[in-house]
Amino acid sequence: MAYDRELIRNFCIIAHIDHGKSTLADRMMELTDTVALRDMEAQLLDTMDIERERGITIKATAVRMFYTHTDGKRYMFNLIDTPGHVDFTYEVSRALAACEGAVLVVDATQGIEAQTLANVYLALDNNLEIAPVINKIDLPSAQPEYVKKEIEDVIGLSAQDAPCISAKSGQNVEQVLAQVVALVPPPQGDENAPLQALIFDSIYDNYKGALSYVRVKNGVVKAGMRICSMATGNEFEVTEVGVFTPQLKPASSLCAGEVGYVAASIKSVAETKVGDTITDAANPAAAPLPGYKQVQPMVFCGVYPADGADYENLRDALDKLVLNDASLSYEPETSLALGFGFRCGFLGLLHMEIIQERLEREFDLDLVTTAPSVIYHVKKTDGQDLIIDNPSNLPSPTEIQYMEEPMVEAHIMTPSEYVGTIMELCQEKRGVFKDMAYMEETRVNIQYELPLNEIIYDFFDQLKSRSRGYASFDYELKEYRRSDLVKLDFLLNGDMCDALSTIVHRDRAYAKGRAVAEKLQEVIPRQQFEIPIQAAIGGKIIARETVKALRKDVLAKCYGGDVSRKKKLLEKQKEGKKRMRQVGTVSVPSEAFMSVLRIN
Amino acid sequence: MAGIYLHIPFCARKCCYCDFVSFADQSRRAAYVRALLCEIDLAAERFPARRYDTVFVGGGTPSLLPAEDMERICEALRARFTIAQGAEVTLECNPGSVDAGRLAAYRRAGINRLSFGLQSANDALLRSIGRIHDYAQFEHGFHMAKQAGFSNINVDILYGLPGQSEADYLDTVARVAALLPTHISAYSLIVEEGTPLYGAVRAGETLLPDDDAVYDMQAAGRAALAALGYAQYEISNYALAGQECRHNINYWENGEYLGLGLAAHAAMVLAGWRRWNNTADLEAYIAKTARGELPIERMQRIERKEEMFECVMLGLRMTRGLSRAAFAARFGQDALEAYPEAAEALRALGYLEVTQDALRLTEAGLDMQNSALLYFMED
Repeated sequence: MAYDRELIRNFCIIAHIDHGKSTLADRMMELTDTVALRDMEAQLLDTMDIERERGITIKATAVRMFYTHTDGKRYMFNLIDTPGHVDFTYEVSRALAACEGAVLVVDATQGIEAQTLANVYLALDNNLEIAPVINKIDLPSAQPEYVKKEIEDVIGLSAQDAPCISAKSGQNVEQVLAQVVALVPPPQGDENAPLQALIFDSIYDNYKGALSYVRVKNGVVKAGMRICSMATGNEFEVTEVGVFTPQLKPASSLCAGEVGYVAASIKSVAETKVGDTITDAANPAAAPLPGYKQVQPMVFCGVYPADGADYENLRDALDKLVLNDASLSYEPETSLALGFGFRCGFLGLLHMEIIQERLEREFDLDLVTTAPSVIYHVKKTDGQDLIIDNPSNLPSPTEIQYMEEPMVEAHIMTPSEYVGTIMELCQEKRGVFKDMAYMEETRVNIQYELPLNEIIYDFFDQLKSRSRGYASFDYELKEYRRSDLVKLDFLLNGDMCDALSTIVHRDRAYAKGRAVAEKLQEVIPRQQFEIPIQAAIGGKIIARETVKALRKDVLAKCYGGDVSRKKKLLEKQKEGKKRMRQVGTVSVPSEAFMSVLRIN
Repeated sequence: MAGIYLHIPFCARKCCYCDFVSFADQSRRAAYVRALLCEIDLAAERFPARRYDTVFVGGGTPSLLPAEDMERICEALRARFTIAQGAEVTLECNPGSVDAGRLAAYRRAGINRLSFGLQSANDALLRSIGRIHDYAQFEHGFHMAKQAGFSNINVDILYGLPGQSEADYLDTVARVAALLPTHISAYSLIVEEGTPLYGAVRAGETLLPDDDAVYDMQAAGRAALAALGYAQYEISNYALAGQECRHNINYWENGEYLGLGLAAHAAMVLAGWRRWNNTADLEAYIAKTARGELPIERMQRIERKEEMFECVMLGLRMTRGLSRAAFAARFGQDALEAYPEAAEALRALGYLEVTQDALRLTEAGLDMQNSALLYFMED
């Protein structure tokens, strides 16, 4: 039996990090008795340790709640929890496309942030109704009226009726539920039409295979049906459909307007692509739902096991992660310095950090990663086009006609007092100023075009430190643009270390070469001989540092009581040496490859 | 060759760099001496008999003990163990805590070698590292020791101290050598974790000379000592000809030794090569020995491969190196055969010399002994 569509509300929550999205979701689940209080744990929808620790959402999840309104009717709420970070913009856009409305949570002490705005625009693009909510009114520094005005001025949304709540204490949260009923329209759709179900995320389940999280737009999906992916043409037999309570709970069917999951013995999430449309193989829809895109990684880096013996374990770990994360790509690569490893592609820097952290924590691996790179377009003198995601593969300068690098359009929101220092930062990062607008007297929205390769290192950290944490930042890929780029190499005792090579703008090469050489000089321990460290462009040396020879490496005392201790010290020293990478004659500690990333 | 080490864990005050087991609180001193006497009885009973050629009473500050206690301890040792005629019996002294009466008692107790922990001739430096004596007291003590009949005296000095210059260190070397001790130990200061010095260095309150400066001090000190007739015979030890410390040479030959007292270590053939150490917990030590139990905390059987490596690690500390004959007698295999690749690699680096008699590190090799030893370790 299909639920009365008029009583269904599909919505998501849009909020900046730490503005209280997950806490509000927790309170809504409590108020609707979706989760018994005794089972309640904070940030229930964020199931990964990393999500809880960092207060971010990486995977979309959904929960079905039943809310009895003051009008006496029982409404079905499908709350879709989406990631908020710029790296996952596409995933967010698909999750939004699965909804009719969005609850916009704004922190009463902070106001609107760049990410909030970016996601609001995404929601508006998807024709969502937006219900603003002012959170954290229990804090002494809360300025709800001020924030309401900001919402009206900046987004152009009426906010006078916005509930003022404290998700933490639960104050006025029931007003949010009422607001969802009032503002979010019920879903449209025809359950007699051919099936069209939008995949807004997928996860891998050890027993059921890859599960597609779907919003049924038209038709009905149930177990036993043969379904077809409209992006790939692959067909599957549905083994189970169900809903989120938030645990998976099988259901007899999912009808137009509903949100749930579809299991079809699919081997990997790569076959249930976010944005794809599922249809009935026997009675296919005429066209897929709009908006499907093949996601492309934007940032690449080499990932190597610190201990070469862990190569197979690293491969297994990546195999497992990719089961659940179709946006992660990897292929084997070898480095003279680092041995066997993988070139991994990520949606962005946060995605990269998360994957690295999960590999280390969930799979207990010690990793060495190389500096991240973006994708460069290379036109060779012989007319051939190359796509380069690894600096080591760049042809020699004489073979290159020109190169192009990705540019992004960045929005930075900041209290006006930091405008000067932030513009300085953007200038340093080769930014091109586009626009600046006052959102209100003391807050500014600055728009810059920036090369992606400048923001993948430390841009975000710098932005935060220069604005005392107040500035927020969002970007989208704009275009590829010709640029005077060079490959910067590093030589240790005359031997090139491929894992340290990076592609940089010519104007920045000298400064970067010097800074990295200095850093290497700090982190490479003294060895039995003097080690020249050279930075080079092509064959030309542009910077040089020296690690002086070690002259003394001996324990002053060794008497009766010291023997066991001394043996242990030597074992540690040997272990340390084993963990170092051999670049020609030079032993390089793993940290060296990463410390190069943190250059100011 | 076999030796006995005996530990006295009390000091008037802990030096800022010291991580030995010793206490400034002396309230348990008498109880400790009783416990030590118990342990001497127990050890003599339980461990196989050896003829001991050396005894070394270290600490802590053994010279803090009342002279009669030291006499009782030495008497007990002689009563319960076979101590060779002409054995080398050393006592560590703080330069400020000796007097004629004590020294005479030590002579009576059979102590024939003293080791003074001077560390530096610069009084300001001595104060900064927490020593309680000054140079004048040391000189006075040294002369008294001579007058009391001690002809075999070692002086410990340190280099690489906070604020120490090379000139300053060489001044210490010269002043000490001028007193004509038979033996000088010159140690590089090691900042051990958990010491007040470690904290001060970490916090940036104390600045140490950099590695190069320390190396230069060491090299200059070695040259100065050699010129004064003190030949280096181990990484940190110098002696007039024939006056090398026999007790310590036994350690570096990986010989047998018994350890008595709190946290003392021992190594002996006991159904295979074994190492063990006593508890470092003073109350546990006292309680166990009172119950007639050996106060051993941990005993370890050392496998043959590791025993071989120990011989290398210790033997290569001496300038005369690892004796091939002794190695072959112990393991039935020539050292060069046991470690052909390491020997070859280290020879190529100029760190090792192989002679008919020995494998020995060159001067450069001695300075880099740790790096050299890694070649002898299994991957």
